[in-house]
Amino acid sequence: MSDIENFRRKARTWLESQASTFGQDARRGLSEEEDLKMGRAYQKAKYEAGFAGINWPQEFGGQGLGNLEKVAFDTEELVFGMPTQYFSISLGMPTPVLMKFGSDQAFIKERVRKALSGEEIWCQLFSEPAAGSDLAGLRLKATPDGDDWLLNGQKLWTSWAQYADYGVIVTRTDPTVPKHKGLTYFWVDMRAPGVTVRPIRLAGGGSHVNEVYFDDVRVADTQRMGAVGGGFSVALATLMIERHHASDSAGYGPALDMFVALAQSVEINERPAIEDGRMRATIARTYAMRSALDAITARGKLALQAGREPGPEGSLNKLVSCRSRQRLSELALDLCGNAGVAFDQHGAIRGDWAQSWINAPTSRIAGGADEMLLNTIAEKILGLPQDHRPDKGVPFNQIPN
Amino acid sequence: MSILYDDMQIAIATEADRVLAARTDQERLLALLEEEGQIDEQFWQTVCEQGWAGIAIPEEYGGLGLGLVELGIVAEACGTHLSGAPFLTTGQGVAAALLACGSETLKQNWLPRLASGEVRGCVALAEGQAPVPSACSVTFANGQLTGTKPAVPGALGADLALVLANDNGSPVLLLAELGDVERHWFDSFDNTRATADIQFDGAPAEVLAVGDAARAAALAALAQQAVVAAHEQTGGAAAMMHRARDYALSRRAFGQPIGGFQSVKHRIAELYCLTELARANVIHAASRSGNADFVRAAAAARLSASEAYDTAARDCIQIHGGMGVTWESGLHLHMRRARSLAIETGNSLFWEDILSDLIVEGDR
Repeated sequence: MSDIENFRRKARTWLESQASTFGQDARRGLSEEEDLKMGRAYQKAKYEAGFAGINWPQEFGGQGLGNLEKVAFDTEELVFGMPTQYFSISLGMPTPVLMKFGSDQAFIKERVRKALSGEEIWCQLFSEPAAGSDLAGLRLKATPDGDDWLLNGQKLWTSWAQYADYGVIVTRTDPTVPKHKGLTYFWVDMRAPGVTVRPIRLAGGGSHVNEVYFDDVRVADTQRMGAVGGGFSVALATLMIERHHASDSAGYGPALDMFVALAQSVEINERPAIEDGRMRATIARTYAMRSALDAITARGKLALQAGREPGPEGSLNKLVSCRSRQRLSELALDLCGNAGVAFDQHGAIRGDWAQSWINAPTSRIAGGADEMLLNTIAEKILGLPQDHRPDKGVPFNQIPN
Repeated sequence: MSILYDDMQIAIATEADRVLAARTDQERLLALLEEEGQIDEQFWQTVCEQGWAGIAIPEEYGGLGLGLVELGIVAEACGTHLSGAPFLTTGQGVAAALLACGSETLKQNWLPRLASGEVRGCVALAEGQAPVPSACSVTFANGQLTGTKPAVPGALGADLALVLANDNGSPVLLLAELGDVERHWFDSFDNTRATADIQFDGAPAEVLAVGDAARAAALAALAQQAVVAAHEQTGGAAAMMHRARDYALSRRAFGQPIGGFQSVKHRIAELYCLTELARANVIHAASRSGNADFVRAAAAARLSASEAYDTAARDCIQIHGGMGVTWESGLHLHMRRARSLAIETGNSLFWEDILSDLIVEGDR
């Protein structure tokens, strides 16, 4: 058996031993506060068992293993429904970028260890009211003040900012140059005076995202990551770090088996739904689509194992799987008849069609909207022209708004 | 079998593409559309010369002893360049059935000649709208076949047919030499498929399998053929996607390349997604040959590949505007081929049913 298979088995055995304490059933009915507490305990257990920071350097408290081991663990972990969501951003982007671009090594090591063990949480302050897909159009200002900087403005859609101890932030330091060139990247203390976090309730009822206001928030120049004016490339590097993540051909929604079981248990116009051609076509085509995504993922892993770069087709997973999950969830609710309107506030997105459906739009927007993903495929993979960009090369403060 | 192509497999793909690009003549293919069931002999000659017909046939029977993955790689290149004859695909159906249930004598007799391309095979299972009928109208009695197999791809140029028939109420899978058997050609929208009705009138045939085993073997052979066809479809889809991309880069309107408009560029990006999904499924299916889940994987491959090729042909023509609908652009060659490949070897309705049964009831 290969090393990676050994590792996968070890991971699975450990996860199974933790499932009754931290898994989906143990979390049922918990308030978010209780769930976060459980999440911190789970993250600590992971850290102590040697499954946190799997592909991070050992000097920072990681395990010093490869991306394959990391993806293997994440893939195994997915099915248990463990309380990992509070840490996915924190450990996914800000902390790795801190290791790469931060300057004070002792401070960084302390922060990284506490983030890995679930004691501290980091958030990523990128999007703003006027800068989502067009990240470089952000406006939050950082102005020099002695050896420090003063931050003023607003961030939006910041995941888990309400629980965050620290954050990484992209700011505008020079509005007189074209938009990509006037940005600077810092880390900030979320408890600093002048930081105000307000949770935003989303359509599904949850509030994992926030608006964050900065009102004369003082930041030392030692908190700067990268050059003044070099913030956009650090931001891009942040987004590239998470390339090796566990992908899910179900679009983070229910498994196809759950749809089959539903179709087996109900009727359409008093005939068995499972014998209905529309259901059979949906089952077959959803299976075909997911098996293809699984094969793309498997091929990507084999490429990594062979020391080759995985193909760009890995990038279509989220686009294809999330919109399919949305349609499948609608159909599943149709299958339930009038009772399809029932809603379980505590239902899990993977285990409840109504939860999957109502949260599906978020999955098609967050982390790259469908339209941006199509642009990326068209431009980066197929070499088609960029969209018309009237703001190209124009100093930021001269772009009409 | 790995789904990550190794260096040798990549070399096969590159070489097949190079050879076919050099030897494919669109004018010839356009002319053949109006011929009576003539295949593109130069294409078949290339297949024979290159040894492609024997890729998946074991060395002991005169083949190259590679597998469905390698045959698929060549089929993909054939799809890209609009293969001028169906026998690479249909021959695999016959060879697969022979390998799975033929006697040693039959194998020795036919496989080396199928491998060299000297003998061309076709697969005659379907009747009416059923790709694998449960009760065939073609009968087998006293060692002889009687009745008509309608619209068999490759029938016109084939020497050998895999036939599903009815032996006194029980299915039987047979191998029939077509030498003197009458074939009735009819005009189709893709004439190089050499599709014809085969009219058996007491033709001798050799039994490969009987009863439930005959139906299972027929489906397994069809699945083998389907995976090859799905590779062809993937090659065709990728060709259409690339032609759409190239045209969108060169054609200008309203002061910019039309590929700069999202309605066009997103459409092409969607074609990329469909093509890559098809590619992933066809490679996966080829790698599962011989495993319990092979038919399931073949069905998924067929569904993705048919969708990809039909959509890519349709959208590529749309993106070309008026030029796309001209005879000389040749884009309709792909539109025609996308449909003929989707119809042959079990259509999507058939494979949807097969796949949903396997998902609901488990692999058999």
